[in-house]
Amino acid sequence: MKDVVRMGGILGIVTIIAAGVLGAVANVTKPRIEEQHRLALERALLAALPTADPRAIVPVKDENGNILYYKGYADPDTTKLVGYAFLAIGKGYSSDIQTMVGVDTTGKIIGIKILSELETPGLGAKIEEIRHGEKRPWFQAQFIGKTKKDLLVDKDGGPIVSVTGATISSRAVTNSIRKGLERLEKLIGGFKQPAQQPAA
Amino acid sequence: MEQRMWKVSASPHLNDKESISKIMWLVAASLAPAGIGAVYFFGAHAAWVIFWAVVAAVGTEAAIQKLMGKPVTVSDGSAFVTGLLLAYNMPAESPFWLPIIGSIFAIGLGKQIFGGLGYNPMNPALLGRAFLLASWPTHMTIFKTAPHGGTISGIDVETGATPLNLLKLSQDVLRQVKINPAEVPAQKVAEATEHISKLYDAYGNLFWGKVGGCLGETSVFLLLLGAAFLLYKRYIDLRIPVSYIGTVALLTWMFGGTDGLFTGNPLFHVLAGGLILGAFFMATDMVTSPITPKGQWAFGIGCGVITVVIRLIGGYPEGVSYSILLMNLTVPLLDRWAKPTIFGGAAKK
Amino acid sequence: MSVVGEFTKGIYKENPVFKQALGLCPTLAVSNSVQNAVGMGVAMTFVLVMSNIIVSLIRGFVPKKIRIPIYIVVIATFVTIVDLSMAGFAPALHKALGIFVPLIVVNCIILGRAEAFAGRNTVVRSLMDGLGMGLGFTLALLVLATFRETLGNGTFYGLPVHWKGFEPMLIMILPPGAFLTIGLVLGTMNWWDRRRA
Repeated sequence: MKDVVRMGGILGIVTIIAAGVLGAVANVTKPRIEEQHRLALERALLAALPTADPRAIVPVKDENGNILYYKGYADPDTTKLVGYAFLAIGKGYSSDIQTMVGVDTTGKIIGIKILSELETPGLGAKIEEIRHGEKRPWFQAQFIGKTKKDLLVDKDGGPIVSVTGATISSRAVTNSIRKGLERLEKLIGGFKQPAQQPAA
Repeated sequence: MEQRMWKVSASPHLNDKESISKIMWLVAASLAPAGIGAVYFFGAHAAWVIFWAVVAAVGTEAAIQKLMGKPVTVSDGSAFVTGLLLAYNMPAESPFWLPIIGSIFAIGLGKQIFGGLGYNPMNPALLGRAFLLASWPTHMTIFKTAPHGGTISGIDVETGATPLNLLKLSQDVLRQVKINPAEVPAQKVAEATEHISKLYDAYGNLFWGKVGGCLGETSVFLLLLGAAFLLYKRYIDLRIPVSYIGTVALLTWMFGGTDGLFTGNPLFHVLAGGLILGAFFMATDMVTSPITPKGQWAFGIGCGVITVVIRLIGGYPEGVSYSILLMNLTVPLLDRWAKPTIFGGAAKK
Repeated sequence: MSVVGEFTKGIYKENPVFKQALGLCPTLAVSNSVQNAVGMGVAMTFVLVMSNIIVSLIRGFVPKKIRIPIYIVVIATFVTIVDLSMAGFAPALHKALGIFVPLIVVNCIILGRAEAFAGRNTVVRSLMDGLGMGLGFTLALLVLATFRETLGNGTFYGLPVHWKGFEPMLIMILPPGAFLTIGLVLGTMNWWDRRRA
């Protein structure tokens, strides 16, 4: 009996010391970690809405506080709306692929950035591949300027060229963006009609 | 094998005029029609792929045996057959280094590392193919060379897909329609239906070999010619091919269609892809298949089930090579399970 | 054994990965790039050295019966410190190493050294042992990662090292490549040792 108390006591002391140390470390690193998360999100939002003012991208939340989408404005006073951004999540080959997508007010994609994916290196992971001499990942660059009706990969009869040998990953990104766009359209009550092109 | 063995050894004690090298060279001869067919259908490049694969396989075997101080036995033809089979499992337009690396892997890490001929647990040629498929998937899964006087798909449609691939893509469209009719345009459905009906009429092209695919797997006729010779010489028997092909036919007939059970097309699934090559020439490999009749039936059925699962459910259009590799690993267990009772031994209780 | 000997033994003679075959799971998983190997190696070495020091310090009054739970608490504390600091200061590395940082807790090298060495040796010797084992682990990862990254991706530490037209051998950065590489390296080392013996 005495033995149990003694051992319990020693184990207790060790755990208390460990907890104290960890508390202190967590205190120091917590703001840094939050800062890193915020930075990653900010970078993605800026990539999605390149025309928006970095200080004027505001989240739109539902009644439970979950972020539905973001509104991007061209000025810090949030008067000139340039577009919306949303997070599209699609089931890829080996992971959930999260993509931040920005559209203008007519529903045309103006920016896209893949936030996280753990697809097969060399195949599915090529959705993030940057070809030599180029600045942006070629797969993602294809989406710029596309609207809802264009969002199909070539294997499904659309214009998006899929990554060779990685139809599943390519399709996951494309379909998740299309579905996200449809959801956004419902939430905001429809996009504006695009300005008529002047007849040539 | 030049060494004469007069040592006292375990059974079997029956001797035969057959030798490893005679069998292997005759197996190589039985593969020749398909090889000649490959060169006719896919052009001179197919000959180069075969050449490099064979040279690298024989060279690797000789080099490793020399390094390890063992007698060099490349003249027994087993490395030659491995190189040949590996080449038959590759697209005709493979760059020259692909068959070379594949053969080095197949012989080095598929065979010699386990102790050489007779000790390898898995078919070396198929291991080489699996290695190449994991390393350079784009080279191994994209077919660009149309066969002489035909198309890659075997039907008159502009597409780079092999018959099995086209079937998979078309059936995917039809399945998609059932789940979510609004998302699939009507034109695509009509196209898919047309493709499937044309594919199911292309038996002639599949049988003679006027389709795209790995260079040695396409011509059922030429493969059967070689297989008939091996059957006549009794180097292989029908248990594994029959149970393998039979299982594939039955299961694809049951589950291979899009309109419910028993709407599939078994004949198409038997003729398309690498099933004939696999069932007659690779699943029957003496080293890596069971020796007991009961084990051989089970081996063939297992190969068939895995092939169909990969073809119908998996991500690849073809599953012959993986199914044989996986079943190779079960061979010791199958032989143990199917061990016949020793003559005079007590009946099992 | 000399104090220096305690340090050097971990590098080759008692290399945790190649000779003791410990910690193979993270070894196989994160040796797909040199960058990951270095990050994992440094994290491991830190945890190994710190846990060895603490375990050696408290070895006098830790009751035999509950030594394992106490070791685990000590190790888990340092792993959590590494995990949190990495998330805060090196987020890219943290993302790349993923679940394998928290899993250092159950890495048998660390518990193995605490139990087999630090629990019965002086602080200085335990420190040297931890440093040597950590270095040995890092070197093992580096050897594997060098083969795997150059062959499988055509790069070394993210820098391109390949000729024009080189097509990477994808299998090398996939899990089968890890098994093939470690098998061949182990085989080569055994062959070398046998030849010298």
